[in-house]
Amino acid sequence: MNRLWVDERYCKGCLICIDVCPKKALRPSQEINAKGYILPEESDMKRCTACGICELMCPDFAIAIEEAGR
Amino acid sequence: MKKHPMLKYLKEEGPLGPRMPLIFCPGCGSGQVLNYTLYAVDRVIEEDGISKERFLFISGIGCSGRITSHYLNFDSAWTIHGRALAVATGALLANPQFRVIVFTGDGDTGSIGGNHFIHACRRNIDVTILCLNNGLYGMTGGQHAPTTPIGAITTTTPYSNREGAFDLCKLAETAGASYVARWTTAHPRQVIKSIVKGLRKKGTAFIEILSQCPVHEKIPATTLLKQFRKNTVPFSKAGELTDGKTLIGEFCDVERREWNEAYQEIIDQFLIHDGGIDE
Repeated sequence: MNRLWVDERYCKGCLICIDVCPKKALRPSQEINAKGYILPEESDMKRCTACGICELMCPDFAIAIEEAGR
Repeated sequence: MKKHPMLKYLKEEGPLGPRMPLIFCPGCGSGQVLNYTLYAVDRVIEEDGISKERFLFISGIGCSGRITSHYLNFDSAWTIHGRALAVATGALLANPQFRVIVFTGDGDTGSIGGNHFIHACRRNIDVTILCLNNGLYGMTGGQHAPTTPIGAITTTTPYSNREGAFDLCKLAETAGASYVARWTTAHPRQVIKSIVKGLRKKGTAFIEILSQCPVHEKIPATTLLKQFRKNTVPFSKAGELTDGKTLIGEFCDVERREWNEAYQEIIDQFLIHDGGIDE
């Protein structure tokens, strides 16, 4: 299964990644982090195809998808 | 932990501590344009075998100016307001081998740097101009800019804007740029394709990227991106019927003589004999 990495230092919680994901594999976190931002988290990574649109459209270089078996 | 693939081109640490995260507000289009540009540069480096040292990034003043100022692991210059293209002209005179990318904003290109912009297009210097057009002056507090659409509400036009907006793509095309395109931040693959094309093109490539400002427009970035997709129509499909939507696409892609090449012809006239000019 693919894995989601979100860099807590860089993410500013704009949630563009969740909006552009065609498979709805991400969702907003229930918790607010120390900076006051809501970060994305995995909702159902079985659906993730590692298309990379979240990495491509991230304004803060904070998100990365690790493909299974790579 | 896996990192974002484009972080290899950015400086995360500096002599005075960490440089990241980026200075931009949450959901800003400037970070997205930087991301797209790095994908395009990555493709050009890999496919064309051009070394990293041959790229030069120049920016003016404004939110777009902060893109080159701290983060890029390339040669970069942060120059005065509106004069990024003047610095790019000088850099190309000194070393025509440079692949120059200029980040400007709409205030930088359309108002204070307007003359530098049209003359860079007229000379057809070999630069790729990326104009981040968010329709207002973001850094100074959301005042109306020459590119603000009619009817838009900004801090200096509280009863809606009554002045017509500048069409920078038409201006660049008329002034003589080789390649002119307009996309939005909601069209990442098209932007990357255009930047790659612009970097390979000899001559001025002007790419206007409509960008969002979620802070001053007071709308979430995700909604603004959806509006970009809804309110734009590709130039190739639209014809005359735009229904009030913004035209996007490639407006101009022609071959014109590049500025440095044109001057090289004069230099070559005097270098017919091996002895050079003194012979």
